[in-house]
Amino acid sequence: MQAASNAVRVPMGDSTDVALAAGGDRQAFERLYRTHANRVYSLCTRMSGSRSKGEELTQDVFVRTWEKLPQFRGESAFSTWLHRLAVNVVLNARKTEGTQASRTDESDVGDERWDVAGHAPMHIERMDLTDAIAKLPAGARRVFVLHDVEGFKHEEIAELCGITSGGSKAQLHRARLLLREALER
Amino acid sequence: MTNSNMTCEAFDAALPDYLEGTLDESIRASVEMHLRECVRCAGLVRDLENIREEAAALPDLVPSKDLWKGIEARIAAPVIPLTARPERKRRFAPAWMGIAAAALVVSTAGITYTLTSRSLTKPESRPVAVAPSKTGETQTPLDTGSATQPSNAIAAASTGGSGSLPETRGASGQRGGVPASLASQPQNEPSHSDAVYGEEIEMLQRVVSERKTLLDSSTVAIIEKNLQIIDAAIAQSRAALAKDPASMLLSDQLTHALDKKVELLRTAALLPSST
Repeated sequence: MQAASNAVRVPMGDSTDVALAAGGDRQAFERLYRTHANRVYSLCTRMSGSRSKGEELTQDVFVRTWEKLPQFRGESAFSTWLHRLAVNVVLNARKTEGTQASRTDESDVGDERWDVAGHAPMHIERMDLTDAIAKLPAGARRVFVLHDVEGFKHEEIAELCGITSGGSKAQLHRARLLLREALER
Repeated sequence: MTNSNMTCEAFDAALPDYLEGTLDESIRASVEMHLRECVRCAGLVRDLENIREEAAALPDLVPSKDLWKGIEARIAAPVIPLTARPERKRRFAPAWMGIAAAALVVSTAGITYTLTSRSLTKPESRPVAVAPSKTGETQTPLDTGSATQPSNAIAAASTGGSGSLPETRGASGQRGGVPASLASQPQNEPSHSDAVYGEEIEMLQRVVSERKTLLDSSTVAIIEKNLQIIDAAIAQSRAALAKDPASMLLSDQLTHALDKKVELLRTAALLPSST
């Protein structure tokens, strides 16, 4: 399973810093941040489709982590726990956006909000995969990132996103086809 | 394109499950046979599998700036040490509640006027010093009123002379007509308490002000509205305490209002960003 392979990047020494940070040690928490920031930022950016939004969400994730850390029981690797928390923060932010998001048709592939690489909206002949993911419709992008990039299973995605497992499979397939088209393969 | 086993349309319908590896064996065999014969469908599968493999191997992205400062500012809001908080629970001892009830009965018996006139004149004759405003509570866009009021009412409350409360609490826990919990406090401790609140409120207000643009405008409006209400309560408590510095009820109300302000600001400081 890809999630396992991705989550294997757990650095040694996390457990000590986790314990210290849970007790209020901000220096230990900063070390945890330095270790995991890029990974969390990648998730936030790819799921939101925007670098600036990804940075905001990354900060939200670590603030939330600081609040929740005393509840971390070590039943899973800290990186796994952090990753799931990050997904929840991103998905909750989407819900908070609520009416704003509902005004935007999620099937609108050409939505110019997505600007992961800071490039102009997608009329270029060929783009890299990161850019192409950012241009996906929001629903398809979230499922694609969670499944193909982060390694979540359809059942987990369904639970996290509040959709069915079949819906997750359909969104994934749609995302892959759109990516193929965008990448002109 | 068609072949003897499967059309491209049928292949397309089976493709998601084929890629997931969840096709029945018989259908899978048909799909694989189709793939051997159909260039278009074979190319499609190859492309989609490449996308899946590339996605799994994508490198981590790096933020354009160090995000730690923003995180640290939001988690660094100080927490008032419990020892610095006025002891609210002890002030609401059953004896005090009984006294308050008795006072209410007495007042309804017709001597309200007399008591009121005494209570209005008494504080002015007491040598109660209300310190000038110095709490560290700076006026920010989210602070709409408290700074205009005397801010050391907590100090005034505890430094006041004898009021009706000490005499009626009985001998235990009292010294010289003042509750032991207050009499044992250094003269400057309440002032320290107020300063602690001031420092915390100032820091939280700074964080909230900086994050204001990241929050939803309706959320900011609600926060500001609630802060106005709390600030009005703080101002009223302080004004009342300036007239009746010995009132523990007023002191408690002020402390409660300050607690509420800190709680609201801390919640606002930790709110996730919205777009």
